[in-house]
Amino acid sequence: MTRSIVARPGAANAGLLRSETAVAVVVFFALALLPGVASGYVVYIVPQYLLYGMLAMSLALLWGFGGILSFGQAAFFALGAYAMGLAQHWDMAVNPAYVALLISIAVGGALAGVVGYFLFSAGVRDVYFVLVTLALSIMTEQITISQSDITGGYNGMFIPRMSLTFGDASLDLSDDVPMYYTILPLTIGIYALLRWVLASRFGKVLIGIRENEDRVLSLGFRTPLYKTAAFAISGAIAGLAGALYGTHASFVSPSLAGVLFSTQVVVWVAIGGRESLLGSLLGAVGVAALSNYLTAITPEYWQLVLGIVFVLVIMAFRGGVAGALGGLTAPRRPETESG
Amino acid sequence: MQTALSVLVDSTLITFVFALAAIGLAIIFGLMGVINMGHGAMLTLGAYFTWYTTSAGVPFAVAVLLAACGVGLIGLLLEHFIIRHFYDRQFETLLLTWGFFLVSTEIIKIVFGTDLRTVTNPLPGAAHLGPIVVPAYQGVVALISLGLLVGFALLLFRTTVGIKIRALVQNAEIASLLGLNVGQAYKLVFVTGSAAAGLAGGLISPMLSVDPYIGNVFLVRSFFVVIIGGIGQVLGGTLVGSFLIGGSETLFALVSGQVVAQTIVFALAILVLRFRPTGVLRAE
Repeated sequence: MTRSIVARPGAANAGLLRSETAVAVVVFFALALLPGVASGYVVYIVPQYLLYGMLAMSLALLWGFGGILSFGQAAFFALGAYAMGLAQHWDMAVNPAYVALLISIAVGGALAGVVGYFLFSAGVRDVYFVLVTLALSIMTEQITISQSDITGGYNGMFIPRMSLTFGDASLDLSDDVPMYYTILPLTIGIYALLRWVLASRFGKVLIGIRENEDRVLSLGFRTPLYKTAAFAISGAIAGLAGALYGTHASFVSPSLAGVLFSTQVVVWVAIGGRESLLGSLLGAVGVAALSNYLTAITPEYWQLVLGIVFVLVIMAFRGGVAGALGGLTAPRRPETESG
Repeated sequence: MQTALSVLVDSTLITFVFALAAIGLAIIFGLMGVINMGHGAMLTLGAYFTWYTTSAGVPFAVAVLLAACGVGLIGLLLEHFIIRHFYDRQFETLLLTWGFFLVSTEIIKIVFGTDLRTVTNPLPGAAHLGPIVVPAYQGVVALISLGLLVGFALLLFRTTVGIKIRALVQNAEIASLLGLNVGQAYKLVFVTGSAAAGLAGGLISPMLSVDPYIGNVFLVRSFFVVIIGGIGQVLGGTLVGSFLIGGSETLFALVSGQVVAQTIVFALAILVLRFRPTGVLRAE
């Protein structure tokens, strides 16, 4: 039993979560069966979309629930991928890929934590935070370009597919099916973890900060610490997603840290529904899949349509697709204003 | 001595280029508080309009003015149909102006193509002032940049329109009670800022090769220029900010690589943002 600290979201919201769980179970079940009915390119590419989805969920936690927008998620993602690439060359007693995954989580979390605490503790306003995260992603891109001895510069870096080891047994992930069944459970795990985080006391305080930071502060919560923690969790997940992306795609280049990719994540989350983890995940998967498909047919017009959809979502459909389907995010606004 | 002088000239010229690129943002963001993430796209549009009209045979100076008018018109449409409904929601304007960037970049790609375009330098050659050598075009652009800054400062502090805008910036509600048409004044400021960005894009176009993302080079830097110089400090703030963001990069690049210099400058800008969020020139 958790004590309710911040005003509980309405009953409708609890309904949303229940229905989201049902949808999530169906979606993940369908994804688990996918390699049985499809093969080839689909099985290769879906894990990549899922990793985009993981990245999108890292942003949804921060933006949809914490009200803090980051234009720099790609920086953590790219650092994770580079960590994976570098670690594969190390000679270690344990599986270097495991070490790389841990490093990517640690680097993403630590960098976000340090930057976050540095800014939030001084009360840097949200819009300025966006600019700093944007600068962070530009700096990461520039550094990966300039340190070409380590990163390969513009040419990027090849990364071998990792293998899973359990004691003496090992499973090579260079085939797509084992890779698929490695990334899918991890994605589900991150989804479940974030659901748990949001349902916890911490999650409630975070939502409270989104709704009214001053009030939460006056209730005695040190909001800068909560915001820092949210950013650190977000950075850590983005780092993990990036490390897996690196080994899945077998390649990383500086543009992965760039502004364009960084803001692409914002578009996915906005369209999918920033206040829904599943919506963000599926937003990333859906938009990335559509992009991939339509880019072959009509690259320019598709990007244009995507931009227009983004503007419309921001103007009129705050909840994105998930909100429109659930019809539940809209009533929450007036609720906050009145009480 | 010779190198010291040329570094000085370089860093002065770059300071003025950055100031020029930032003027539009200093107006829209500095005065109105609108986080215009479409600022880079406005610079890009200005550059493309200039490229398009000069390659159709229009003289460069006219082309740049046309670019300013064109981007001003786009700013008017953007403000009228979208931005004006969101003035009280800073976060939404940030996202919407980013949406403007996404959409206009794609339109640029469709209309003008993705190839690199070059605008011929209208003033090749260099001026020799004693031992100092100044590339003629860059020199003229620096003068225009300074002229624009002084012009806007005079407009703001020496004219009736300026008083109205300052009243709006200080307290929009009271200004409107005193009979100021707030909606119209916001529109005027937004369009002026857009036109200034278009003008800057046009003037910068001969110095770089024009591609659909050319303006983004200046997006974050322009924000840093405005924030670090001090929001609302159109003349002094923009110049000081431009020197710290642009001019100092040249100085750092002397001792380190260009890329490292840029990273140092960004890091310093973040430090300033953290410790002096009101900017270098503001006392409060």
